Amino acid sequence: MKNNKKYWKGLAQLENNPDIEKLAHNEFAEKLPLDDFLSDDLSSTNTSRRDFLKFLGFTTAAATLASCEAPIVKSIPYLIKPDEIIPGVANYYATTIYDGRDYASVLVKNREGRPIKIENNKTCTNARVQASVLSLYDSARLKTPLKNGVEAEWLEVDSDIKDRLSKIKDKKIILLTATILSPSIISLLENLSKKYKNVEHIMHDAVPYDGILNANEESFGLRAIPSYYFSKANVIVSFGADFIGNWLNNDYSTDYISGRNPKKGMMSKHYQIETNLSLSGSNADKRIVIKPSEQKVLLSDLYSSLSSGSDPKDNRLSEIVKKLKANKGSSIIVCDSNDKKTQLIVNAINYILGNYDQTMSIAMPSYIRQGNTAKVNNLIEEMGNNEIGALITYKVNPAYNLHNAKDFSNALSKVPLTISTSLYNDETASLMEYVCPDNHNLESWGDAHPSYNTYSLMQPTIAPLFNTRQFEETLLKWLDDSDYNSFLSDFWRKRGVNWEKAVHDGFFNIKDRKSQVTSIAKLNENVLSFEINNINKIELALYEKIGIGDGTQANNPWLQELPDPISRACWDNYITISAVTAKNLNLKNWNVANGALNGSLVNVISDDIVIKKVPVMIQPGQANNTVGLSLGYGRMKSGKAANGIGLNAFPLLNSKFIALENIEGEHEFASTQLHHTMMGRDMVKETSLAEYINNPSSGNHTDTYPTWKGDLKADELTFYDQQDLKTGHFWNLSIDLTSCTGCAECVIACQAENNIPVVGKQEIRNSRDMHWMRIDRYYSSDMTQELASKNDVSTIDMYKEMEEPSENPEVVFQPVMCQHCNNAPCENVCPVAATTHSNEGLNQMTYNRCVGTRYCANNCPYKVRRFNWFQYSDNDKFDFNMNDDYGKMVLNPDVVVRSRGVIEKCSMCIQKIQELKLNAKKEGRPVLDEEAQTVCASSCSTNAIVFGDSNNKESEVYKLKNDERAYDLLDHLNVDPSVFYQTKVRNKS
Amino acid sequence: MITNHSFNYHKLLVLILTIFSYQLSAADVAKGEQIFKQNCTACHMITDARLVGPGLKGVTDKYEKEWLVKWIRNSQELIASGDERAIKIYEEYNKTAMSSFYFSDDEFSDLFAYLAAPPVEVEPVLATNVTAEESGISNSTIIMIIALILLVLVFVLSSVKNSLKESLGQNTESISEAIIVQKNIFLSNNAFKLFMVLFIAIVVFKFTYDSLMGVGVTTNYQPTQPIEFSHKIHAGINGVDCNYCHTSARKSKHSGIPSANVCMNCHTYINEGAVNGKVEIQKIYDAIGFDSDSRTYIPGYEKKPIEWIRIHNLPDHAYFNHSQHVVVGELECQECHGPVEEMDVLYQYSELTMGWCIDCHRETEVKMEGNGYYTHLHEQLKEKYKGEAITVAKMGGLECSKCHY
Repeated sequence: MKNNKKYWKGLAQLENNPDIEKLAHNEFAEKLPLDDFLSDDLSSTNTSRRDFLKFLGFTTAAATLASCEAPIVKSIPYLIKPDEIIPGVANYYATTIYDGRDYASVLVKNREGRPIKIENNKTCTNARVQASVLSLYDSARLKTPLKNGVEAEWLEVDSDIKDRLSKIKDKKIILLTATILSPSIISLLENLSKKYKNVEHIMHDAVPYDGILNANEESFGLRAIPSYYFSKANVIVSFGADFIGNWLNNDYSTDYISGRNPKKGMMSKHYQIETNLSLSGSNADKRIVIKPSEQKVLLSDLYSSLSSGSDPKDNRLSEIVKKLKANKGSSIIVCDSNDKKTQLIVNAINYILGNYDQTMSIAMPSYIRQGNTAKVNNLIEEMGNNEIGALITYKVNPAYNLHNAKDFSNALSKVPLTISTSLYNDETASLMEYVCPDNHNLESWGDAHPSYNTYSLMQPTIAPLFNTRQFEETLLKWLDDSDYNSFLSDFWRKRGVNWEKAVHDGFFNIKDRKSQVTSIAKLNENVLSFEINNINKIELALYEKIGIGDGTQANNPWLQELPDPISRACWDNYITISAVTAKNLNLKNWNVANGALNGSLVNVISDDIVIKKVPVMIQPGQANNTVGLSLGYGRMKSGKAANGIGLNAFPLLNSKFIALENIEGEHEFASTQLHHTMMGRDMVKETSLAEYINNPSSGNHTDTYPTWKGDLKADELTFYDQQDLKTGHFWNLSIDLTSCTGCAECVIACQAENNIPVVGKQEIRNSRDMHWMRIDRYYSSDMTQELASKNDVSTIDMYKEMEEPSENPEVVFQPVMCQHCNNAPCENVCPVAATTHSNEGLNQMTYNRCVGTRYCANNCPYKVRRFNWFQYSDNDKFDFNMNDDYGKMVLNPDVVVRSRGVIEKCSMCIQKIQELKLNAKKEGRPVLDEEAQTVCASSCSTNAIVFGDSNNKESEVYKLKNDERAYDLLDHLNVDPSVFYQTKVRNKS
Repeated sequence: MITNHSFNYHKLLVLILTIFSYQLSAADVAKGEQIFKQNCTACHMITDARLVGPGLKGVTDKYEKEWLVKWIRNSQELIASGDERAIKIYEEYNKTAMSSFYFSDDEFSDLFAYLAAPPVEVEPVLATNVTAEESGISNSTIIMIIALILLVLVFVLSSVKNSLKESLGQNTESISEAIIVQKNIFLSNNAFKLFMVLFIAIVVFKFTYDSLMGVGVTTNYQPTQPIEFSHKIHAGINGVDCNYCHTSARKSKHSGIPSANVCMNCHTYINEGAVNGKVEIQKIYDAIGFDSDSRTYIPGYEKKPIEWIRIHNLPDHAYFNHSQHVVVGELECQECHGPVEEMDVLYQYSELTMGWCIDCHRETEVKMEGNGYYTHLHEQLKEKYKGEAITVAKMGGLECSKCHY
C-alpha cells in the first residue's frame, strides 16, 4: 500500500506560501552577498577595470611570495612523558557528569591530555551531557577566588572564611545546594556540622519536583522518586511528563525504546496527555491535547473509573481505561504536575493497577531530585529576619532561577557572610562576598549515588585549567584538612569497594538495603476534589528545551545553536501558541523573503509579573488557549554566548494563568524549520504495528516505472557503471525511525567529533547552519487519500481534513546526514574532482581540492552539503568557541578545521573508520562488528542508528539492510545511498 | 685542518706504539678489558670522569697493586683497618661502599694490565668531519669559479689576439666591438634567432615551473637544532634502534620526539661526548634539572622544555600515520627518512609531496600474508586482479579520504 499521508515541515509549507515554494527550488536561500563584500555600490565606485587587475596581480604575487617562505615549526616534546600518554593516541577515562541538573556515567576521550569528547558508558546520556566537554573550556569561567568581587588568594579567602564561620554562635550556617548525589559530600557536611555550630543543609532544584516527592512522602513515608522500568510496561500513560525529553534526569529513553521493538511483535502502547508538544508527545502512539487545568480532572476521572469499575466521564479516557484494566501490573502512569494532590492521585492509580514492584519501585528509589522548595522559602524568610549567619551555595543559582529571586537577592544583603562556589561569577555569585570557584566535573574527583544499588565515580581528566578548587576540597580546607582524593578513596575502601577497579570502570555496585516503605494508605477522598474553573484565561505551561535545559550550561554555544527538536528554533525562547489561539489574539508568524521566520511580540502578564517583548511561535499540537514557555534563557551573567539571549521565565514558575498583551514590533527567529527542504517529496515511510505483524514490509512501498522492458523498480534502471562494492568493506548506516526519539544527542556528538563551527543566530536565519546532520521533523495527519475515497470525501474536504489535524499532528523525526550515494549526483558535477567515491561506499569530500563552486550542493537531492561562507575560526565576527584559545582546546586533532570557501559534509566519521581498520591491521585480525562506530551511532541512546560493514554477513547492519523495513530515502532517484532507513511503526491497536 | 691531520697521525702513532710495547701482554689486556666491562663499568669509567665511583685512568700508578687487590676484595675491611687512603676515598664518595669482587690473581693482573694501558680508540668522527669540510664547496661556487676563469681567459686571449694583430699591422678590435660584430652576424640569421628565442623560452619556462613546483617543498631542509644532536653517533656508531627513542612510531600517527627522560636513560651516566664534550649533554641536564656532579635531580628545579625545530612538516590537511607504515606496511624508517644513521645533522631526505606519496602507493605491493585482517580480502583481490601484483593503490590507496579528512 502506498502511503498517501501528507507530511509537512511547517505551517507555512502547509499553507503553500509562495516564498516557501520558491525556497524549495533554490539550494541557497539568499542572493550572494556581493554588496557586503564591496563597500560601495559597484556602479558608483572609482575603481577601474585596470586598477582591479593591478590589485589582483599584486595580491596574487604577494600571496605567492609569502608562501615561498616555509615557517619554522617547533616541536616541543615532554621533558618527562607520562606513561599512559602516547601523542596521537586517545585515552579513555570513565567518569561521571553531574552539574546539578544532568547526571550521566560517561567515558571521556582524551587526546594529549585534553578531554575532547564524551562517550556513553553503557548508560543513556543527552545532548547537554555530550556538550559539557565544551563547557569545560568556557573562558567565562572564574579563574581565581573572589573577595567582594576582587581577585583574591586562596590562603586569604580560606583563613577569612574559617575565622568568620567559627565566630558564628547563635545564627545558622546554611548550605544551599542542588540535589547532592555524592555520599562523600554528605559525610563532609556531617563533619562540617561537628566543627561549626548550627549547620543546616538545604537542597534546591532549579525545576522543582516537590509535588511528586511530597506525595511519595505521604504515600510511602519516603521522600524520593520511584525507579521506573518502562521496558516492562505494556501501557504507558504520561500526563505531561516528558520522560523522553527533560522529565527528571531524561535517562529513560533506552529503557522505553527497548520495550518498543516491532521485531518482537510487541510494542508498548504510549498515551501522552499534554499541553505543549513535547518529545514524548511526538513519540507517543496517541496524543491527547489538554489544558494544564484539565490534568487533575482527568486523573480523578481515571482514578474513579479504575477503582469503581465504571466508565470514565470523559470519553477521551475510555480507551485508556480499557487498556489499563487489561494490563494490570504492567503499566505506568507518570505525571509532571508539581502539585502534591495530583501526584497523590497518580500514586493511587499506580497502586490500584498493581504497578509498584512491577514496572516501578519506590523501595528501590532514584535519588536524582531531592530539592525542597518549602525549605528554600523558609530560608528566604529567615534570611530576611537576620537569623542566618552564613550562606554557602553550591551548584545553585537562586538569584536567577527562583520564582521569588528578587526576595532572595534582597534578603541576601542581610546575611553577614555569603559564600558561593559557582563556576561562574553568575547572577548569585556576583551578589556574594566570597566566591570560591569550583572545578568543572571533568577536573574533579567525586562520587554519585543516583539510584538504588547504583554508584559511580568521577575522576579528573585534566588538571584544573584555572586557579579553581573543587567544592569538596574547599570543605576539607575549612575542616583544617586536605586532599579530597585520598579522603574519597578511603571513604569507599572502608566500605569494601575495590577502588582501582571502580575508578577504571567508572561505577560499582554495592547492595543497598531496600528502603522501608509504608504501604499506600487509602486515598483521602478530598484529594480528588477540584474546582472546575471556567475562567477563560490563557493557561501557561513551562518546559525545558532539549538544548538549554534549566540554563546551567546556557553559555555553551553548541547548545544555544542546537535546534529545538520540535520547533526547530535556536538561540531563543518564545511562547508557543496554537494556530487557533493565535488567530483569535491576532498574533502571527510569517516568513520574510529569504525564508527566515518572523513573529509577533507580546507582553506576558501574570499578576504583578510582567515579562516584556516575548516572541510568539505558532506551534501545531499546542492546546488551544494555552501557551508554552521554556526556562533556562534570559541569563544576564553567564557569558558572551548566553547573556541577553531569550527571556527568563523562572519568575512565572508558580503562575498558572497569564494574560497576553499585543505590542508593536516583530521578532526575528533563527529557525531551521524550512532549511534544506527536500522539494516536497515524501520522505517518511510509516506503518502500524498490526499491519507490520501481518506484513513486515507494509508501508515500505517501492514504485515501479514503465520501460520497454516492462515495469521496473528505480534501482533496476541505471546508466551508471556499477562499481565493485563487494570487495573489502562496504560501510553502511541504518537509521530506525521507530527508535529515533529526536533527542538530538547525535547532532551534538557529531559537532564535537567533527569540529563543526557555531555560526550564530544571524547566519542561521540566512539558512547557513553548519550541522552535518539535522533531525528533520515532519508533522502528519490521519487523513489519507485512501480514507477519503473509502468514505467518499470530496477532494477539497480531504485537503481541509488534512489541514484540520494540524492542531494535533503526528510527528516523525528523521535524522538526515550525507547519504553517501553510490550513484552520487554530487560527484558528477564537481569540476575539480573534490568530491569522489571510495571503494568502501563512502562519498569523500576533499577540502583542499574544493574551489567552492557549490555545484555539488545544488545537485544533492538530500541537501546535506554545507558551504563555509566565512572563516569561522579565529574570526571576531563569529565570537564563539573557535575564536577562543580555551574553546579551541576541544577541537578533534584528527579532523581538519575547514576554511572559508569550501563545502563540507558528513564523512561517516572517516577518521574513526581509518583508525578502526588500522587497529585491526596492527593486531592482525578482522574488523569486529561492535567496534565499528560513527559518533552518531555510538552516542545514540536508543540504538536507532547502527553503523557497520554490510559485506560482513555477521554484522547487525547487514541484517538491517535486508530487513523488510529497510528503505532508501528518495528511492525513486536510484542514487543508491549507503545510508538507509527503517520504516516508522506506531502501535495503533 | 692541518692540525687535525697531524693530531690523527699522532694518535695513530701512539696506537701503534702501544700495540707494540704491550704485544707480549696483549692477551692479558684483552682479558682485562673483558673483566672491566663485565664488572666495573656500572660504576667506573676508564677516563678521569667520575661515575658512581672515581674514573680509573692511571689508578695503577696511584696505588700499589697489593693495596688495590685488598680494596677490591673487601673495601669495608680495609676501611675498618684504619687505612687512611681507603677512608679518604670512602669519605669523598659519600660513604658509598664498593661491592666486593673476588678475582683470581691472574684476573687481577689482566685487569691491572688493562687499567695501566687501555687501548686508545681511533675516533672516526673527527676524520669524517674533515672530509665533510673538504667536500663543503658547493657546485655553484665551482661553476662560478670556472666562469670567472673563462671570462679572464676571454680577456687574455683577446688581448693576445690584439697584440698579435698589432704586431702584424692589422686592425685591432676591442671586446665590445667584437661582440657587436658577432651580434650582427647572429641577428642576420633567422633560423638562429628562432632557435635562440625557443631556447630562452624553454629555459625560462623550466625555471619558472621548477621554482613554482618547489614552493613548499623543503627537501634537504637542515635547520640548526637547539642541541647538536647527532643521529650518526646514536643510531649509526652506537647502533641504538630508532624505536628506542621514537617509541610511538609503532603505536601512533606521530613518531614522537623522545622526551628528556628517555635521553636520561643513558645520559645519567654518559655525560661527555666525543665531539662536543660536555656542552651539548649539559643542555639536557639544564632542561630537566640534573646535577651531573652529584648525579641527582635538583629538587624543585624549574624545568625548561627543549624546543626542537621540526624538519618533516606535512600540511594540516594531510593525515599521515607512522604506525600504519612501520607496523602494517613494515617499511624501514630509512625508506622515507634516508640514511639517518649517517647524518650528523638531520635533514629532510624525501620530498614529502603528494606525488611522492602516490608514487610509492602505486608501486608498493601490500604484504598480506600472515595478517588476519587481509585473509578474506586477499582471496577476493586475488580473484579480482587475477595474478597481477596487488599494490596499495589497488586497495584504494589513492583515494582522497585516505589522507584528507
